Amino acid sequence: MTDKITIRTEGLTKHYGDVEALVDLDLDVLSGEIFGFLGPNGAGKTTTIRTILDEIRPTAGRASVLGLDSHRDAVEIRRHIGYVPGDLAMYPSLTGKDTLTYFANLRGGVDWSYVDELAERLGADLTKKVGDLSSGNRQKVGLIQAFMNRPEVLIMDEPSSGLDPLVQREFQTIMREFAGAGSTVFLSSHTLSEVQRVANRVGIIRHGKLIAVEAVASLRSKAIRKVDLYFDTPAEQSVFESVEGVRDVAVENHHVSMSFDGHMETLLNAVSGRYTLVDITTQEADLEEIFLTYYRDEGVTA
Amino acid sequence: MLATVVTKTVRDRWKGMVIAGISLAVMLLFGMAVYRDIDLSVYTDLPEAFRSLVNIPKDADVGSLAYGAIYSTYGALTLASLALSMGSASIAGEERNGTLGLLLGNPKSRTHVLVSKATSLIALTALGTLLLWGAGYLVPAVLNVEVGGMHIGALILHMFVIAVFHGFLAMAIGAWTGKAGLASGITAAVMIISLFAVGLLPLVEGLESGAKAFPWYYYEGSSPVLNGVNWGHLAVLFVAIAVLGAIAVAGVNRRDLRDKATGVNLLDRLRSHPMTTKIVDRLAGSMRVSRIWMKTASEHQGLLIGTAYVMFLLMGVMLGPFFNLIKDTLVTFSDSLPEAVMALVGNGDMGTPEGWYQVETFGMMVPIAFMLVTVAIGARALAGEEERRTMGLLLANPIKRSQVVLEKAFAMVIYAVAVAVATFSGVALGSVIGRLGMSMGNIAAATLLGMLVGLVFGALSLALSAATGRSRIAIYSTVGAALTFYILNAFLPLSDSVAGLAKWSPFYYYLSSDPLNTGMHWGHGAILLTLAAALVALSVVLFQRRDLRQTG
Repeated sequence: MTDKITIRTEGLTKHYGDVEALVDLDLDVLSGEIFGFLGPNGAGKTTTIRTILDEIRPTAGRASVLGLDSHRDAVEIRRHIGYVPGDLAMYPSLTGKDTLTYFANLRGGVDWSYVDELAERLGADLTKKVGDLSSGNRQKVGLIQAFMNRPEVLIMDEPSSGLDPLVQREFQTIMREFAGAGSTVFLSSHTLSEVQRVANRVGIIRHGKLIAVEAVASLRSKAIRKVDLYFDTPAEQSVFESVEGVRDVAVENHHVSMSFDGHMETLLNAVSGRYTLVDITTQEADLEEIFLTYYRDEGVTA
Repeated sequence: MLATVVTKTVRDRWKGMVIAGISLAVMLLFGMAVYRDIDLSVYTDLPEAFRSLVNIPKDADVGSLAYGAIYSTYGALTLASLALSMGSASIAGEERNGTLGLLLGNPKSRTHVLVSKATSLIALTALGTLLLWGAGYLVPAVLNVEVGGMHIGALILHMFVIAVFHGFLAMAIGAWTGKAGLASGITAAVMIISLFAVGLLPLVEGLESGAKAFPWYYYEGSSPVLNGVNWGHLAVLFVAIAVLGAIAVAGVNRRDLRDKATGVNLLDRLRSHPMTTKIVDRLAGSMRVSRIWMKTASEHQGLLIGTAYVMFLLMGVMLGPFFNLIKDTLVTFSDSLPEAVMALVGNGDMGTPEGWYQVETFGMMVPIAFMLVTVAIGARALAGEEERRTMGLLLANPIKRSQVVLEKAFAMVIYAVAVAVATFSGVALGSVIGRLGMSMGNIAAATLLGMLVGLVFGALSLALSAATGRSRIAIYSTVGAALTFYILNAFLPLSDSVAGLAKWSPFYYYLSSDPLNTGMHWGHGAILLTLAAALVALSVVLFQRRDLRQTG
């Protein structure tokens, strides 16, 4: 990863009438990184992407890709990008192959043996009409479409929706290959776990405002988890309350549940020797909870 | 639930009905205003056969002329078309959109949904009918025209029933097959063919009673505006409506619902046939997607084939020999026809082959045919891709927005040329078969001017599509504008004081030079071409300035 900037927004603002969809968004995405763009539904992720692609024009501010202005150099930018729109729709009466041929003709530089490889890896059927495919299989065609000319910049809006877990994993592998080869991936998502698995850095957006940009590692350490511990003897509440990062402890005989955002080792050290641990389950807190916990102070009203 | 489905359907569709009602009221206003100013004695001397053909009653006065020319034909066609589109959308349309399954996920039967849809169809048609009824009384009052002896209510009632009939026909076909396109196509064909059959068959000796085989006969065969309600005729339609309703109920309950459908067209069929696979695969596959305009052009094949077929065979070839069949009837009174009437029916002298083709083919059907294809492409070109959310993907490629607009416009031109070729060769062949000896150059000129006027309105719909991203707005506004301009061009010249204003209508530059008799008027052609080109240029500007819509 170098420190060259691939995507930059400066004071990017978009109003729809009275609705402020984006407010003064400053964002830098570095070359060769996978940047996760995270936020709940309706936060402004898609609006940001559509502005970068010149589908819509900012009310104020500007966006650039590879140093090119999103509006003035729109056509030039699109020579270098692959794009998967959110809520993907394609031409129902074309087959997957026809669809890819159509875009290949508009774009140029498509390596068909690579298309075959991608279809193979994702398990896509390109002979059927897109309208006859299930949404997951349609999504695969959309992904191949974005990857097929090996673009320098990939912009993807909720790209893994509808994909089964195995295909999701393969898709993540392909994204890493692209980043490894120097491409930049801008990945919008509302699932923390997906972003955590592939991204280097994460931008968090809420109510049209960018509220944090963090390295994934530090976000992970911040992440609250719901932890359930099961012992072979009844446990005492006080033992857990003193452990750093533990909150909201509830003890019910052999079963203790809590919210936890510290290092797992600290928690395990506190119980080992005292009780015999029978089972442990941990659950990722959802995004909303993380927002509420960590970003309440950022001037964002819930 | 019943009420919910009805309410939603009514809410989705009432605007179209109100726009149609208001447009027709405005037309009636124009028509009556013009008739009020001209000397009506020209009409009263007309031969009976001709008067019945163009719906002019014997004791013609201002009111009956306007009602005959505007309400009974345009009004009924418009109402029936709207009912038709609701009928075909009711079951088959929801199937095509993939929403029928969702609707039926609620604890209600298919019959329930169908009945709700039928109810809203009747309610909306009634709304349109009421608007026309109100205008039918209001306009004469405003213009201070006497309409004492006319049965406006009877005309309107007949109109309502024939519209519901066409709605139910489309609904029954859609419910039985699940194919919305098929439902509207067949119903529209039934409507147009029976309209012409009822107008023309009575003129052919020996076939006079043949008209009774066509639904339209039971609408206007008894001239309800003069003679009042003909309950016998209405009973025929009521029975037909009941039968169609029963067929629809049986049809929707008998079969598997279709998936969110991707229809199968001719190319697809040939593509899967072993003998034609190779060549068609090239044609349907790689060629179809090689350019934006080619892809656009491949999307409306059915419409193009249907339109070209009708223009070639029905409006072209068949009318040639047919002219010989009824020539004598037409010739006997062609000399006595006053000029004003000629203007009304397209300025054609029906005793000559040119006049015959002008009245039957070029006057109304040619502009309609061209607009059918140009507006279908123009209105959906940009807005259609936005509404189906494919525009973002398309524009993520390194192409300018202007290129997309221009390629879509090019596809529109290709379609117009195809319809022009079909029309020209149909009429030319009809002339040859019927030994009518019409000038080929003149047929080509009239066709060319018709194509250009079609392109003007196609380009208008493209501009509206580019400006709004909403194909419905583009279609409704263009059709409204075309109807208004058509009526203005037909009626304004009848009154000396306002005749000059007709030049503001694009249709003026289509037939006012009488191209079938005098050949190409290059000046008029240039005006239409410039207008169309300017509207395309405007589309480019409008589309470039705008945020793409996000729908879904």
